[in-house]
Amino acid sequence: MDTLNNLFLIIAAAIRGLFADPHSVWADITMDVVAFLAVIIIIVLAALVLILLERKVAGWTSQRPGPNRLGPRGWFQTIADALKLMGKEDVTPANADRLIFKVAPMIMFSLPLMTLAVIPYGKGMSPIDLDLGIFYFLAISALSTLALLMAGWGSNNKYSLLGGMRAVAQMISYEIPLIFSLLGVVMLTESLSLTKIVEAQGVVPFIVLQPLAFVIYIIAGIAEVNRAPFDLVEADQEVVAGPFTEYTGLRWGLFFLGEYGNMTAVSALAATVFLGGWQGPAILPGWIWFWLKTGLVIFFMMWVRWTFPRMRIDHLMHFAWKWLLPLSILNILLTGLGIYIYQLIPRIGG
Amino acid sequence: MAVERTEELVLNMGPQHPSMHGVFRMVVHLEGEVVTKIDPKIGYLHRGIEKLAESRTYPQFIPYTDRLDYLSSPHNNLAYVLAVEKLMGVEIPERAEYLRVIFAELARIASHQVMIGSTALDIAGWTAWSYCFRDRERILDMYEMTAGSRLTVNNMRIGGISNDPPPGFWDALKSFLDDIPEMIEEYYGIFFGNEITMGRMKSVGILPKELAENLSITGPVIRSSGVNYDVRKADPYGIYDRFDFDVPVLHGCDSYDRTLIRLLEIKESAKIIKQAMRDIPEGPVMAKIPKVIKPPVGEVYHRVENPKGELGFYIVSDGTTKPARLHIKSPTFVNMQMLPLISLGWKIQDVIAIFATIDAVLGEVDK
Amino acid sequence: MENKELLRKRVDELASKVNGEVEEILGMLVLKVKGPYALEALTTAKSFTDIPCDFLHDLTAVDKIDHFEVVYQLTSWKGPQKLRIKAVVDRENPVIDSATRLWQGANYMEREAYDMFGIQFKGHPNLKRIYLWDDFEGYPLRKDYVTETAEQRSVVFKLPAE
Repeated sequence: MDTLNNLFLIIAAAIRGLFADPHSVWADITMDVVAFLAVIIIIVLAALVLILLERKVAGWTSQRPGPNRLGPRGWFQTIADALKLMGKEDVTPANADRLIFKVAPMIMFSLPLMTLAVIPYGKGMSPIDLDLGIFYFLAISALSTLALLMAGWGSNNKYSLLGGMRAVAQMISYEIPLIFSLLGVVMLTESLSLTKIVEAQGVVPFIVLQPLAFVIYIIAGIAEVNRAPFDLVEADQEVVAGPFTEYTGLRWGLFFLGEYGNMTAVSALAATVFLGGWQGPAILPGWIWFWLKTGLVIFFMMWVRWTFPRMRIDHLMHFAWKWLLPLSILNILLTGLGIYIYQLIPRIGG
Repeated sequence: MAVERTEELVLNMGPQHPSMHGVFRMVVHLEGEVVTKIDPKIGYLHRGIEKLAESRTYPQFIPYTDRLDYLSSPHNNLAYVLAVEKLMGVEIPERAEYLRVIFAELARIASHQVMIGSTALDIAGWTAWSYCFRDRERILDMYEMTAGSRLTVNNMRIGGISNDPPPGFWDALKSFLDDIPEMIEEYYGIFFGNEITMGRMKSVGILPKELAENLSITGPVIRSSGVNYDVRKADPYGIYDRFDFDVPVLHGCDSYDRTLIRLLEIKESAKIIKQAMRDIPEGPVMAKIPKVIKPPVGEVYHRVENPKGELGFYIVSDGTTKPARLHIKSPTFVNMQMLPLISLGWKIQDVIAIFATIDAVLGEVDK
Repeated sequence: MENKELLRKRVDELASKVNGEVEEILGMLVLKVKGPYALEALTTAKSFTDIPCDFLHDLTAVDKIDHFEVVYQLTSWKGPQKLRIKAVVDRENPVIDSATRLWQGANYMEREAYDMFGIQFKGHPNLKRIYLWDDFEGYPLRKDYVTETAEQRSVVFKLPAE
């Protein structure tokens, strides 16, 4: 059990052990490269699994089988789709802003790569353990607005432009409640480090102490990754996939990977901050607990997506500014009050 | 100080656009996302059916009517054969009358299911769409049992109906009718009762009663603007005067009511089919009509209540086997006129919702 | 039945005013007037006392070889009265007043009649072809419109000879 729990740590130690001096610069560089590759593998694997899962969930909610032809129960469908995408011609529109057009998908893909690198997947298992984990995570994930705007502007397509503008309006609005909802947890732990936040949840996960913040985080998080009912950015019925209209082949595939990567990252942060991360009964290794919790959040997002229609754009804005933002500020207030009273208790008793 | 100016954005939606229900095209003038002007362009599916009719004999034209409103083909057949029968003065057998009503009302249910589903889809309610199409499948199966085809049914003939449905049809019909209350509850739960749907569609795209009357709007669209007008009641054709049913009328004048009224109409159609099933007599399904159909010189306008509105056929006969002039008054062609008028000032996604509630079928609009 | 007699009375009055003929075809009252009187007939019919025919549910045209007929199908939102008004239009110079000032809904229907028959509706806000493209030549539903044969059509798609 212990071996299984520390499986990845043992592998890491083994790689380090290949060097004469396990703490030399070369060993550190090698470990960073390994961590980088591991995160890429996480994203690609997650996308492979999630795309299939998404289509299966869509099938279950709407009472149809979903993909069921390729491989056992259609499990190989995503692989076939990925291969097909790679075979597609790479088209750049004639009047596109070529540089911006080509850079946008790379930015989109690199963001989850950077955010997923600071998540603690298990005890001592953050690829990079930052003291400012939450801060870093939020700063990086906010950049996806930029990628979408670049794609929308660079494509030189009116639908894309509308989608890009929607992205800016929507994501900046939802960024604020998202950040504020996490502040409560930061106040409780007095740390921005994700590792410390997980360790603080040994007894009770923060969802119990911060239920309101959790709800706000999930709603704002869904809006942040542009999924229904907040998928105005790529609304295919209105702006025809928005910023992605002109992308083909592998570039579009990068966007797709980026999207699913972002979704994984947001869910992983929810699992880390509110659901206790890798903490859990010792019947399963910590990293399995972590992925189970993340999967639960992802499943919830998919469930919501396939059930609800899309929101109206003015309602969307009202919802962010008139409901989520005041509620998240209220949550901070309540948390502060709670902490204050909690600190008062021993003094009154004493 | 520099004067900031914004340029008007002219967006060409369609004919290839996911929510244009076929090949409708509209040129939308935008101020940000707010629509300032809409210029609908139609005709991408124009096949000259009226011209074709002049070179086809009367029975030969029946399959063409299927291609008008392909979501409720029995209705188009019905309107056409009724017009020709009126011109010739043919009486058709009782059993055929009842079967026609059953097929017409089945088509109404199927068409409304498509409408509800596609409206849901246009505001991204994927699951509601798939529920509606799942249930419509059962109607298509019933068509298939009787006529062999699933979409373009073509089972009405001048003088009756092509054939009696097989025994399995009646069981399927009965079980379908039994399930209708459950279906309606499901559609309501997944779509109509949803807070987001209401937010999207309530008080969006108001079509006032006076404007609707002035625009000659017909069908569920005008009935949701508070006008109680249904050709089945106002000018009964066939045997519709024998059935006891209500015409739902709503007063919201908005997109939501225009969609909800179809749900209520499904209920009423089910009521009609139940009565028809109970009363249907035995007997032949075709009248004795001449081999060569040669209506006398004259003209006739006959209209029926199509799921989308009033469908009329105006036939001018010169005494030969081919009509001298055949005009089709298609409901959604006329209803389409409301789109540029009522969607000004709404955002682009609201226009999509408004367009969806017209329930345009381009086969019928473009003829 | 009373309704029908009343309508007959009103239509007869109207017919004498606009020099029209009234006949009954298959139980439907038909009023035939000359083109210039069409708008007056429609205006009066729309505001018949007691039995207004205020619902224009169809408008089309028919080619009668030596003249065109513009056919208006009227009924009411309230009652069962039905009336068909036919306006005779000259074939060489097909001009008639537009009904759009009475019913906005006549807009598309008149455009369709223009598209198919070339009838000019005076006072129409936007008289352009509705189905066919703008530089289409001829009016397809006229009886003298020559439909191209299959051979003529196939010229367009013929591949250049090797």
